[in-house]
Amino acid sequence: MSRRGIVVELLVPVVLVVLILGGYVWWRETANLNPTELRQLDWATIRGEAWEHIKLTVVSSVLVVLIAVPLGVVLTRRGMTWLSPIAVGIANIGQSAPSIGLIVLFYIWLNVHPFWTGFRVTVLTLTLYGILPVLRNTITGLRGVDRTLVEAARGLGMSAPARLLRVELPLALPVIMAGVRTTLILVVGTATLATFIDGGGLGDTINSGIQLYQFSVMVAGAVLVVALALVVEWVGRVLELVIRPRGV
Amino acid sequence: MSDTTRPVEATQTQAEPPGASGPGEVSGAEIVLTDVVKRYAGQDAAAVGGLTLTIPAGEIVMFVGPSGCGKTTSLKMINRLIEPTSGTIEIAGKDIRTQSENQLRRQIGYVIQGGSLFPHMTVEKNIAIVPKLLGWDRSRIHDRVTELLDLVGLDPERYRNRHPRELSGGQQQRVGVARGLAADPPVVLMDEPFGAVDPITRQRLQDELLSIQRELHKTIVCVTHDIDEAIKLGDRIVILREGAEVAQYDTPEVVLSAPADDFVADFVGAGSSLKALSLARVEDIELRHPTTAKVGDAVAKVTEQARANGDTAVVVLDDRGRPVGWPWLRQLRGDRIVRPEGELIDVDIRSTLNDALDSMLSSSHGAAVVTGERDQYLGVVDFDAVTTHIRLLEEQRGE
Amino acid sequence: MWNFIHDRRSEIAFNTYQHALLVFYAVVIATILAVVIAVVITRIRGLDVAANQVSAIALTIPSFALVGLLLPVVHLGPTIGLVAVAFYAVWPILRNAVVGLQGVDPILLESARGMGMSEATVLWRVRLPLAWPVILAGIRISTQMSMGIAAIASYALGPGLGTYIFTGLSKGGVAANGLNYTVVAIVGIVVVALIADGLLVLLGRLTVSKGIR
Repeated sequence: MSRRGIVVELLVPVVLVVLILGGYVWWRETANLNPTELRQLDWATIRGEAWEHIKLTVVSSVLVVLIAVPLGVVLTRRGMTWLSPIAVGIANIGQSAPSIGLIVLFYIWLNVHPFWTGFRVTVLTLTLYGILPVLRNTITGLRGVDRTLVEAARGLGMSAPARLLRVELPLALPVIMAGVRTTLILVVGTATLATFIDGGGLGDTINSGIQLYQFSVMVAGAVLVVALALVVEWVGRVLELVIRPRGV
Repeated sequence: MSDTTRPVEATQTQAEPPGASGPGEVSGAEIVLTDVVKRYAGQDAAAVGGLTLTIPAGEIVMFVGPSGCGKTTSLKMINRLIEPTSGTIEIAGKDIRTQSENQLRRQIGYVIQGGSLFPHMTVEKNIAIVPKLLGWDRSRIHDRVTELLDLVGLDPERYRNRHPRELSGGQQQRVGVARGLAADPPVVLMDEPFGAVDPITRQRLQDELLSIQRELHKTIVCVTHDIDEAIKLGDRIVILREGAEVAQYDTPEVVLSAPADDFVADFVGAGSSLKALSLARVEDIELRHPTTAKVGDAVAKVTEQARANGDTAVVVLDDRGRPVGWPWLRQLRGDRIVRPEGELIDVDIRSTLNDALDSMLSSSHGAAVVTGERDQYLGVVDFDAVTTHIRLLEEQRGE
Repeated sequence: MWNFIHDRRSEIAFNTYQHALLVFYAVVIATILAVVIAVVITRIRGLDVAANQVSAIALTIPSFALVGLLLPVVHLGPTIGLVAVAFYAVWPILRNAVVGLQGVDPILLESARGMGMSEATVLWRVRLPLAWPVILAGIRISTQMSMGIAAIASYALGPGLGTYIFTGLSKGGVAANGLNYTVVAIVGIVVVALIADGLLVLLGRLTVSKGIR
């Protein structure tokens, strides 16, 4: 993409987020709010929820990368390729299951044990749910590496781990990162559902709005979640640009 | 190697102790293939059916043949990219299976079509791969990269930090050659090294390879499907037919003048008398020495000197004695000679007369600038010299 | 589990039907919208880039947040579900429709015009049929996505299998049938999704011209 295109693409979300947050702050400070609204939209509460939401997103995404990339590597090694359609198929079906259903299911199953707090169950679900894009892109990316380059690396006497780390993974990185970005978006959105199992996050505000039938609260929560999602998406794009090896 | 058109130093130095490396000395190693067979599962005919071949140290041996004849398979068995089904391969008297395949490959240069550079690594990093694997220290690698870029005719400071996509096809291929030579391996394998570039660039790359080889005397095994390339580059040519069966293994002169059978004759093709022009080289004929000038010289002085010599153009050299242009006197402007724009098409001293003729035809001077090792300027070759030489050859043949 | 399903089979069937119907309507609406927008976009230079931007941003909006945004506007009820699901379904179809329409070989368009076809005929007889396989791929993505979003939307009292998930949640524990409700919902939605995908593949077989399959 052109330099200008990249700048525009990176600028638009920033402008949007500034507008959304600015609008929210302005509304919050000037509107005449009833006690319920004041309690629900207390700054400390919102900050706490946002922090939980970010933790859910980051922890799950890191786990996804730690699981999906090595798995993708293993599934593209010689002799293992027959397994990859099976693995992708399972991940595919897993993803066609509704995220809200999986969160609730795991919660009912696991919450009997005190270790499985709402937060941890949410992380588990988000991780499982987020694996597919990274796994699929890792496999696609590694398969897409020019075979002649891999043979060139062999011909130069690079060992198998060296070929993987210095040739295959760097060349597959742009595709893998696109998958990571998809996962980030998926995870930050799905994390709003944590509220149903006491997992925290900004979903709490939306949900209390719905429960208390306070439109202002549900819209405020939704707006804040959208802003956070845009920020996460933006971070994903920046990561994609920064991590992309030069010359590719 | 009895022909006078061949360089003599290669044969002279064969008596010298092996391992010594430096200009004019053989640093290559002998390769011996004994009854090498490669069969693929599910195929009736063997891809390589019992190849026995001795590749002398310090020579360029070309594997040539129709596609699917097993030439690439044979090549890749030498660095164990493909494992033979049976048979042995020895390099410098040592079976290649006595060490791990990665250890082996680090001692064998490998050059592939298009260069096959890693796009995410700079030119320097690409070249440094094998030295790094061998554990060279940083400063040694840096110096080696400088030396190699210089050797393949790329300005080290200008190109070392570039990425492959910032290079032309020819430049990428040059870096590919530098990468293959990086750890100073005695044996270099080349797989259609110049297949991906345009004909003019290919010719230059071939010349450069010959000039590099004149310095290094590696053992080079090179696969090509182009008989002209084989004739030009090869000290010897192996013509292979299906199953990598050797149809003829001899010097280009013999292959041209006495093809072993119809298959070879067909493959070498018609016009072998014209092809003989590919056997005579620029170094065999006398060069002309027109007026030269260095970048930065006073234009007035240069013009005066050229007029005194009866020249209408001057060859401009850079501070390292490499020709950079051949302007007519009327094109000289200003006080000082400046580096002319555009690239000068020059020919290597070891170029064939065929290639030199091509270059002359594309030059407005009806002649071509000749360079030697590391692009040093040597003189100029023109039509008259070539036609004189052809006449001489014909007279010799008549006798 | 079996007893659970047996006792409620007609109710489960009804909810499954509702879920499928919601997704079906939403995807049909989204397809019509997306194709119309795509036709407009591909006529105006530069709009395709903007459309990509908008769709990338729209898809980042969490579906639960959209439900929160829509509740005040359309009030509780099935409409919210429909609007929310259709909203997300538009983007993948739009993206593919733009790609598909732009991918039609200009030489074919020129020859169609050369034969005297009007712009409308060119669109109907040449561009859309050639872009259809790509559009259909977008519809498949949208349908899969919609299955899960419909489940979330049902929190706002929309119909469908999603309500079972929330019933399961409120009942909690294994003993109180909570698990049964949730499992039935998940399995039901996955089955509906697989059947829908199969039907779309079949639709592709029947409608994509043999020459470009």
